[in-house]
Amino acid sequence: MHAARNLRLCTKDCICLFVCPTKATDTENGQVDFSKCLDGCRLCVDACPSHAIYLVNANYAEPAPKARRVSEKAFALLDRKAGEEAMVKQMLVKAAVPGKDAVNTANAGAALVLKALEKSLRIVAEDAAREAAYMLPQSSSTQMLIETLLQDRPKCGEGQFPEQELRELKGLLSRT
Amino acid sequence: MEHAYGPIFSNLAKACEKQFRTREAELLWKLSGYFDGAVPSVGEVLSSGRADRAGPSLDARKPAGFQGLAAALAADETEHFDSIKTEATAAKDRGALRMTVWGSKVNAIQQSVVERYAKQGDALLQDKSVFVCEACGFIFIGQEAPEICPVCKAPRSRFSKIS
Repeated sequence: MHAARNLRLCTKDCICLFVCPTKATDTENGQVDFSKCLDGCRLCVDACPSHAIYLVNANYAEPAPKARRVSEKAFALLDRKAGEEAMVKQMLVKAAVPGKDAVNTANAGAALVLKALEKSLRIVAEDAAREAAYMLPQSSSTQMLIETLLQDRPKCGEGQFPEQELRELKGLLSRT
Repeated sequence: MEHAYGPIFSNLAKACEKQFRTREAELLWKLSGYFDGAVPSVGEVLSSGRADRAGPSLDARKPAGFQGLAAALAADETEHFDSIKTEATAAKDRGALRMTVWGSKVNAIQQSVVERYAKQGDALLQDKSVFVCEACGFIFIGQEAPEICPVCKAPRSRFSKIS
């Protein structure tokens, strides 16, 4: 469990530099040096006058299982919102000049509205994904998803199936 | 494709960023990108009218236009959010209930933005910018993002300006 600094809250009063026994809080990029930070020490967390430092867990408890019927409905919403996002993406392609990243000035307004919708629909879909099953990356549901995908290898678009990525992720997210 | 994996992986990528797990986040963003390539086929699944995927059919391969999009969004309140509310209440799942509270408000805003743009065109955006709340998806059209998100109460710093 290591400390992390919320740079939006930090008021640079430097009390964390005074209390840190390993100099982990004094770095050129403003973030705590996690490799120097002592597990669960929390001296800086308690000393910070701006409440800008907090602890990030190394391990998490397995989330409580979701009721099957809630999960099913949340999955249906996830798929629905993803379908709507795909619709918006198609409309954006039409709003853009073919072959160019720049948006046709005649359709700039439409593109702006569509980009906002694309982002908004994604955020709602992600929320549905969390409530369906995938709140925590280190959960067993995520592990099971990775296993299933490695087995089924669903083909999507033109890209190569990301087997290496899935295998590396499986190792990194497994509980130790 | 069992589900739309793109948003599942982008959500997990964001969760890893919050935990400062940068390698995991990088891998998850790649996975999200790969599976996003398949979303049109999810649109196909939606249009095939399976019972568990309620609402007017969506076919992502055929651009629907603003009217079609507004109609799809209009159906979501009764076809999706209401049924999640019922199940979440029965299961005493306050997390899922919270998701429907934010989601159905954001859904109404999405529909309203689509309808207003369809009616008013670029006049809707005159001297204004478009902002999206990164926490809940609320869309705001105005000069400056609200101090606090009216849907989820996240601060202004959580809003992104669309460009």
